[in-house]
Amino acid sequence: MADQDTIDLVKDIDVDKYKYGFTTDIEQEFAPRGLSEEVIRFISAKKNEPQWMLDWRLEAYRVWQTMVEPTWAKVSYPKIDFQSLYYYAAPKAVTGPKSLDEVDPKLLETYAKLGIPLKEQEILAGVRQQGEKSTLDEEGAGATTPVAVDAVFDSVSVVTTFKAELAKAGVIFCSISEALRDHPELVKKYLGSVVPQGDNFYAALNAAVFSDGSFVYVPPGTRCPMELSTYFRINAKNTGQFERTLIIADKGAYVSYLEGCTAPTREETQLHAAVVELIALEGAEIKYSTVQNWYPGDKDGKGGVYNFVTKRGDCREAHAKISWTQVETGSAITWKYPSCILRGDHSRGEFYSIAISNGRQQVDSGTKMIHLGKHTSSRIISKGIAAGRSDNTYRGLVSAHRKALHARNFTQCDSLLIGDKCGAHTVPYLEAKTSTAQFEHEATTSKISDDQMFYVMSRGLSEEEAVALIVNGFVRDVLQQLPMEFMAETQKLIGISLEGSVG
Amino acid sequence: MLDIKNLHVKLEDEGREILKGLTLSVKPGEVHAIMGPNGSGKSTLSYVLAGREGYEVTDGTATLKGEDLLALEPNERAAKGLFLAFQYPIEIPGVATMQFLKVALNAQRKARGEKELSVPEFMRLVKDKAQQLNVTQEMLKRPVNVGFSGGEKKRAEILQMAVLEPKLCILDETDSGLDIDALRVVAEGVNALRAPDRAMVVITHYQRLLDYIVPDVVHVMANGRIVRTGGKELARELEAKGYAEYVEAAE
Amino acid sequence: MTSAAATAVLTPAEMAIGTPLPTRRQEDWKWTDLRRRIETPYARGAGVADPSRVARLIAADPLAKLPLRRVVFVNGVLDRSHSDLTGLALKDGAPALAEAEWLAAMNTTLEAQPVTFTVSGTADRPLHLMFLTLADAPAAAGARVHIDVAEGASLQFIESHRGIGAYLANPALTIQLGKGARMDRAKLELEGAEATHLAVAELTLAADAVLRDFTLTSGAALNRQNGRITFAGEGADARVTGAYLLGGAQHADTRLVVDHQVPRCLSREVFKCVMDGDARGVFQGKVIVAPDAQKTDGKQSSHALLLSERAEFDAKPELEIYADDVVCGHGATSGDLDHDHMFYLMSRGIPQAEAKAMLIAAFVGEVFDGVDHEGLRDVLTAFAQNWLTAHKS
Repeated sequence: MADQDTIDLVKDIDVDKYKYGFTTDIEQEFAPRGLSEEVIRFISAKKNEPQWMLDWRLEAYRVWQTMVEPTWAKVSYPKIDFQSLYYYAAPKAVTGPKSLDEVDPKLLETYAKLGIPLKEQEILAGVRQQGEKSTLDEEGAGATTPVAVDAVFDSVSVVTTFKAELAKAGVIFCSISEALRDHPELVKKYLGSVVPQGDNFYAALNAAVFSDGSFVYVPPGTRCPMELSTYFRINAKNTGQFERTLIIADKGAYVSYLEGCTAPTREETQLHAAVVELIALEGAEIKYSTVQNWYPGDKDGKGGVYNFVTKRGDCREAHAKISWTQVETGSAITWKYPSCILRGDHSRGEFYSIAISNGRQQVDSGTKMIHLGKHTSSRIISKGIAAGRSDNTYRGLVSAHRKALHARNFTQCDSLLIGDKCGAHTVPYLEAKTSTAQFEHEATTSKISDDQMFYVMSRGLSEEEAVALIVNGFVRDVLQQLPMEFMAETQKLIGISLEGSVG
Repeated sequence: MLDIKNLHVKLEDEGREILKGLTLSVKPGEVHAIMGPNGSGKSTLSYVLAGREGYEVTDGTATLKGEDLLALEPNERAAKGLFLAFQYPIEIPGVATMQFLKVALNAQRKARGEKELSVPEFMRLVKDKAQQLNVTQEMLKRPVNVGFSGGEKKRAEILQMAVLEPKLCILDETDSGLDIDALRVVAEGVNALRAPDRAMVVITHYQRLLDYIVPDVVHVMANGRIVRTGGKELARELEAKGYAEYVEAAE
Repeated sequence: MTSAAATAVLTPAEMAIGTPLPTRRQEDWKWTDLRRRIETPYARGAGVADPSRVARLIAADPLAKLPLRRVVFVNGVLDRSHSDLTGLALKDGAPALAEAEWLAAMNTTLEAQPVTFTVSGTADRPLHLMFLTLADAPAAAGARVHIDVAEGASLQFIESHRGIGAYLANPALTIQLGKGARMDRAKLELEGAEATHLAVAELTLAADAVLRDFTLTSGAALNRQNGRITFAGEGADARVTGAYLLGGAQHADTRLVVDHQVPRCLSREVFKCVMDGDARGVFQGKVIVAPDAQKTDGKQSSHALLLSERAEFDAKPELEIYADDVVCGHGATSGDLDHDHMFYLMSRGIPQAEAKAMLIAAFVGEVFDGVDHEGLRDVLTAFAQNWLTAHKS
């Protein structure tokens, strides 16, 4: 059934076009081009930040200046001129998130075009009584389940929906700028506690110039009543996006969060260097899903987003759980390792990944599972698909420290190659410093078998449809980890990403 | 032979109590059947008696011929004459079955102060017993339980029992996964080992096995305790009525 | 040397040896810090050893009783007096090492005296190269051997590495297997307890060549072995296995690259690593499949058994694949002895220590079983038994 959907969707695709490549013509305000203390002061002042925040940024900037760009990843790209970029761009009318009614209709239109009808969603949910079924529910499963959205446009959050409903449950969901204003004590306590300013080159850069991002706090014992999501859109030219997301699940809390990303088709490359920090306290669970579909560049590798992202979760207390699910189809370069620090005893980390590369894309992605506490466990399922002239690398570390008694890990990395001009690589690191740790790692690399293709095509599918179908089967284990609402969308995306990979 | 008094056992990891004051006494020459629903603690009892890790005895005693079983290592219990036929025999790659049997037998003989068997003596012993149990030479050449079918594993367990000649045999769900022919072979093997100085505890969910291995005493186990004891006719009654009333009563 | 480390300040040890050592910043040296671990300023070359001591060391070789053709190298230099060279095609010199990396550079610096053996047809006896190092004062000795196995020829080849004293042994071996040639190679690294063993082995397989390769790593305080298997002709087949038996504070790191440059070759790697005490084992295996190497079948696995809570294992089983019609995979595991296995054996009356020994023997037995030479297999089994007895904890 789901597979039939995929086939239908793939059939509809307008070949050779990145669907989200349009630009929004809106008046924007920029910080002066380039990076300096002045620019950082400018950003901080724009946001009316407290002095400690500015000091924190400046410290990060000083550290960054002493650092060199990492070169260990299997990606190559021309040297980035960090002085040629804009570090802050915002739609003119927006100075901070407002209610939906005040948002520029052009922005609402942009999100609607991206498949995120911010306004309709809220109205629909508001009109209907809690628990009342819509006739729509019969059609597509969960099609009208409300999802709270924080919409980030270039450097700023333009709106956050469902804030009032969430507040009733005690859940704070807002942009990080707002959080700095309304909940400075929470931000001060947790910001940088998982990814410190000087963690790595890009994290330091982000710490210095981050402009916006989402903030979530779920109070003790609370199950967040709806899916939370952030939708990132890079629009402006020559602009870096540096968002910072901070999610805290207090004792016994639960939250599921999803982020989506797109950018216009541009000849110039765009830089995206985000930091995401997750903190799960005792017995808390955070489920973080990403559907990353930044502009990948054209067939010859022109343009595209350079995606250098640091994502890390800290299972800070016992029985905490953090689960990362990612679907990576976009970006020209991906450098991304969502990780878990398993500090609390009996805590658990999971990483489920689908990474698809086509054209000239280069992906170097994976995870780190750092076992520090006793009886900690982790699971890694990674599915890499390389097509075209792309390179797709899984890079992962599993380590058990001396005191991580009875730590357990299971890792499965599978790679699929489509065509003979691409590369699929697996670079796992295992470090066991205690005999009581049980590690199990398996990896395979193969291609879609001719028998499978023949069988499927003999039932009437075109070559491209057959590939999409088989690939969807290959990634099924991971797809199932995504929130229901996004599964169908993602299947479609997989089909689109592999266009032109055969024949 | 075997005396268990008020045995309380919990899982080390979860802290959940599985055996809640179990008392059982088995005399030499007797065959006792323990029947009960899933989750009543039957397998836990067999593991605790054999000395598997992961269980904590919080109260009570278990003695074999008057000796405290619970203080001994698993191999010491074996040397004292205890044998557990596993419900799920463990596969051990790389360890040849014959070597395993020989090391086990001689370790037990050594622990008891008996002379170790020479290679020809041992070979003869195993060959005879293997033949009776339909265990082929080819099976004996393979690593312990590796690549054995369900039935082969159970036959191999009984072969080990026959070779090691224990005083107390605990058969944990030996009938599970066996077709009727295999069941008959296994039961014949067990019956051949019945002796005045040897006791057996047969743990089973179904009465079927007891048609072939006829017990002297039948116990019903529920919720970590023996809740009823009777003769062999009790097994038939259970087969007809099921365990429902015991489960309810125990809760 | 062009690397950054060359411009760094040399440690006394580096100055003595005459070559800079890699740093942990280099990806391949992540888990073995040579600059920190080699502190002794080893003299370059170990000089001439006392012949009677050499004779005693030869007699004590675990392979001494096997009917092998023995060729002895003492302190890196061919010792003709203790070698059986009759009818052997032997000449001075050897081709340059393919990989310009640290251990190879060191071999050049140490001015090893290169020797080339050429084998055609089927050798009458297995060839045993016995590498001995005897150093009264800390010294570094390099050895350089090339073996050319001609088209269709076959050779059983055993190398053993032993010695006395606080020395650094740096053997570099290259092997060329001609079309359809076959080699059964076994390496026994049984260096002295204070030794450092830094070895290079480069093997190239022409079309339809067959390689069976086994390495036992059990000696030396510090061991690093760089291996490279290159498939240069189609249809070749290589099975590369290894066992670590390490205890105390031993450190062993194997970097093995299997390079499929051409289509239709098969490679298998199985490493079984046992670490006791504070020992640390590292296995870095990389399978490369070049763009045109279609129909490659490459699999590797590394398994660690940690016998003590302080023992460590690090692994990096890497795949770098540029061809789509391939079947490649790897597996890696690390853990202590299986508790169910222990319980089962003990429930049959086998005491703990004995049960443990049986399971460890079974663990490494899988790779011993692949050794073709029966006499050698027996030597290995006996060696493992002795090791286990010595490490019964």
